[in-house]
Amino acid sequence: MSRVPLRPLARILSARQKGEDHKAIENENIHQRMLAARGRQRQMAEGRLLIASICFAVAFSAVGVKMFALSSTEPREPRTASSASKIYAQRANIVDRNGRILATNLSTYSLYAQPHLMTDPENSAVELATIFPDLGVEDLLEDFTGKRKFLWIKKKISPEQKQRVHDIGDPGLLFGPREMRLYPNGKLAAHVLGGAGFGREDVHSAEVIGNAGVERTFDAFLRDPAQENAPLELAIDLSVQDTAERVLYGGMKLMNAKAASSVLMDVKTGEIISLVSLPDFDPNTRPNPKATLDAADNPLFNRAVQGVYELGSTFKLFTIAQALELGLMNKNTMIPTRGPLVWGKFKIRDFHDYGAKLSVTDVLVKSSNIGTAKIAIDIGVKRQKEFLDSLGLLTATPLEISEAAGGRPQLPPNWSELSAMTISYGHGIANSPVHLAAAYSSILNGGYKVEPTILKNPNPERGERVVSEQVSATMRDLLRQVVVRGTASFGEVAGYEVGGKTGTADKPNPQGGYYEDKVIATFASVFPASNPRYVLIVTLDEPSENSGAKPRRTAGWTAVPVAAEMIRRIAPLVGLRPVIEPGPGFGIVQAKGSSQ
Amino acid sequence: MSYLEYNIKHVPTGLRKVLHVNWPLVLLMIAIASFGFLMLYSVAGGSFDPWASAQMKRFAMGLGLMFFIGFVPIYLWRNLSPLFYIVSLVLLVLVELVGETGMGAQRWLNLGFMRLQPSELMKIALVLVLAAYYDWLDNERRSKLLWVLIPVLLIVIPSFLVLRQPDLGTTLLLMIGGASVIFFAGVHWMYFAGVISAGIATVAGVFLSRGTPYQFLKDYQYRRIDTFLDPSADPLGAGYHITQAKIALGSGGWTGRGFMQGTQTRLNFVPEKHTDFIFTTLAEEFGFVGAASLLALYAGVLIFAFASAFKNKDRFSSLMIMGLAVTFFLYFAVNMSMVMGLAPVVGVPLPLVSYGGSAMLVILISFGFVQSAHIHRPR
Repeated sequence: MSRVPLRPLARILSARQKGEDHKAIENENIHQRMLAARGRQRQMAEGRLLIASICFAVAFSAVGVKMFALSSTEPREPRTASSASKIYAQRANIVDRNGRILATNLSTYSLYAQPHLMTDPENSAVELATIFPDLGVEDLLEDFTGKRKFLWIKKKISPEQKQRVHDIGDPGLLFGPREMRLYPNGKLAAHVLGGAGFGREDVHSAEVIGNAGVERTFDAFLRDPAQENAPLELAIDLSVQDTAERVLYGGMKLMNAKAASSVLMDVKTGEIISLVSLPDFDPNTRPNPKATLDAADNPLFNRAVQGVYELGSTFKLFTIAQALELGLMNKNTMIPTRGPLVWGKFKIRDFHDYGAKLSVTDVLVKSSNIGTAKIAIDIGVKRQKEFLDSLGLLTATPLEISEAAGGRPQLPPNWSELSAMTISYGHGIANSPVHLAAAYSSILNGGYKVEPTILKNPNPERGERVVSEQVSATMRDLLRQVVVRGTASFGEVAGYEVGGKTGTADKPNPQGGYYEDKVIATFASVFPASNPRYVLIVTLDEPSENSGAKPRRTAGWTAVPVAAEMIRRIAPLVGLRPVIEPGPGFGIVQAKGSSQ
Repeated sequence: MSYLEYNIKHVPTGLRKVLHVNWPLVLLMIAIASFGFLMLYSVAGGSFDPWASAQMKRFAMGLGLMFFIGFVPIYLWRNLSPLFYIVSLVLLVLVELVGETGMGAQRWLNLGFMRLQPSELMKIALVLVLAAYYDWLDNERRSKLLWVLIPVLLIVIPSFLVLRQPDLGTTLLLMIGGASVIFFAGVHWMYFAGVISAGIATVAGVFLSRGTPYQFLKDYQYRRIDTFLDPSADPLGAGYHITQAKIALGSGGWTGRGFMQGTQTRLNFVPEKHTDFIFTTLAEEFGFVGAASLLALYAGVLIFAFASAFKNKDRFSSLMIMGLAVTFFLYFAVNMSMVMGLAPVVGVPLPLVSYGGSAMLVILISFGFVQSAHIHRPR
């Protein structure tokens, strides 16, 4: 940019010659330059302002146009109420393995009052008290004439009650839609389902949240709108569950037990076909747990998954299966069983005296504590612990019932050789019936591990191997012999080849030691033994069979007959056909017949 | 071209200053505030309690403060502006250390007699200090890199502190308000192109950092942005504000349901109905006509402010007025866009209308400076 010099030499010289003041030229030029600069400044400022005005104009027209567009839309009614209740209706159903409803929703109403809108509080209070006898007239009147502007009267009312309240005709009595959880089968599978209650609630709707059982475990799934109301499919079979509950209830009464539980598990998949815990409750009106009650007497307590008990001789199966798996002995190896077995200050006795020695088979069939303890010494602490762990007996089960996490096994604080010996026959370790069902399934299904599941699982992955196919077959044979000629002879159900092991454990006294006359009787069974399909665990709490001269409490007299009755009724329901057992020499007879 | 380079022929003194106040501006502001009083009266269900009466008292006090500031010569304010800036900055740092938390953000400083939001003070202080800086700076140097970096730092430091509170709305207002002063001062346009690209990069950074432990914003702010991008996805949750506000605007129609007849707002469908979302009440009760009138009043404030700035030969005054006017513009533009679903819900009040002391005080103080510049302009 060429600029006019401030002191142009030629002009200054000529001015000097003319005798004019040459400084005026310089001032003039300075002034010109300043004016030019100011002009540029102004031009720049105008440019910038123009850009800014364009920005403002754009912003204003955007806001204006949007405002215009919104104003010209049709006013839509506020739609909070309808869309909110839609959301809450979205809790999915729970169905059994055949799609039959276990839990669903029911539209009902809540009743609330806005006293400042009421026309005749006295009359309304009287009328309400007649419709709902549990409400007091005085209390209602006090609420209606007090300062409160809003109060709940009933959280859930029936359509008939709603109509009657409506007929009172008081504008201050208002209804809000309520979606409530309904268990149409009442007490059936109560401990599996758990229950649901209201969470956050307002006038228009209330949130339904799962409180216990699968309702709690799968709360997020059941409420997830993305699932589009796909039902939660459980492994439970409604008919089997109903039969199991009836039989167990009858058995519990017959055996004078104070509580009972049963678990029926598919040996191959770990699916729980039925799970019963008595006493039970109705999930529609879930009782409030009483703090004073002993946890084990609370109907909400799920014995099948939360109740950890010493399961007694049923554990002998694990000891012998491991000994065979390790190749320490075969089923005919003789084990010394002369008692009592003394270990330090501790003595191990048998229920009967079995003489000097028994074969491994007979140790299980006759249920010798001494024989099992001796085998446990051969196995050793470390290997025993590893084996029980591989069967899932040392940790809580992964079962998807929310209470299952609380069913943590009780283990000896210091797993000594003595512990190993008592654990070998099921004392000094406490597990839940579901633990036992899963461990039995794992050993008897051909030897691969199953995890217990409450969900229908048509294509299970095969778990890792815990014992060989051969050991699994041997153990099924031994369990069958327990029923045929051992402690569980009442367990025979014609045509279903029941095999099983009894367990009778003295109940621990909270004051220390064990009760003399209180036991937990367990029968862990498998059927059919030659081609196993199901494992059934039945436990009775404090049973006492009083038909004889002395009360009989052992599992063989109490839990076994109950389990047998259950199998007799359930087997046809799960589609098992009674079969004629292949006995010894069966093949020869047939060969003779065919040659003729 | 600073103040003292001009020949001050006539600057009013004493009570004569009252004659030289920019009265149209004052009247426009009273008109806007009256809209606010009406709305607060209506939202409270036809009652001066609890909002309208308190708001009127505050407005009266604020107006007094505005005149007080307006009567103090502008060069005094110019000389004090660096001090204002430093004090505001110190308060911002204090809020970071000992501030009170309200609604998930640390914004308030409890002074005992009142609760102060230093980020609001910073909006004014920043514009003042930048205007003073360009008043002091030679024209030849204003586009040199070093001399551009200084004002950029002046903007970035408080913005960063405010963003950490976290208060996204105020951060944006600070940055755009500050940038406008630099823009009006005539810094080369290349810098703005650079800053805008950097801004885009920052936005990208904010989004890319999402989900990492180092994310810039709180989850609720991310959710608000998501909601802005697709409010229909969650009309009852995060999108609730906007959905209900739109219904209110729609149900207002052309002429509105009439004063005190709005259902959306009076039945509590719209949250924050007396503060950030008061515009919905206005739109529902007075319709498009009412909303457009308020928009016109705001436009009037801008026009009178810019006219005053353009006529003012003092560089500091002119830059300051424009910066404050832009800040004022941002308030209502962001608020209205937010209410109508054109911008994310960032929590910016509708100036002079929304209930709340801090914001109203800041607006009136800033217009105090505008009046001071107007009254004491070189003639």
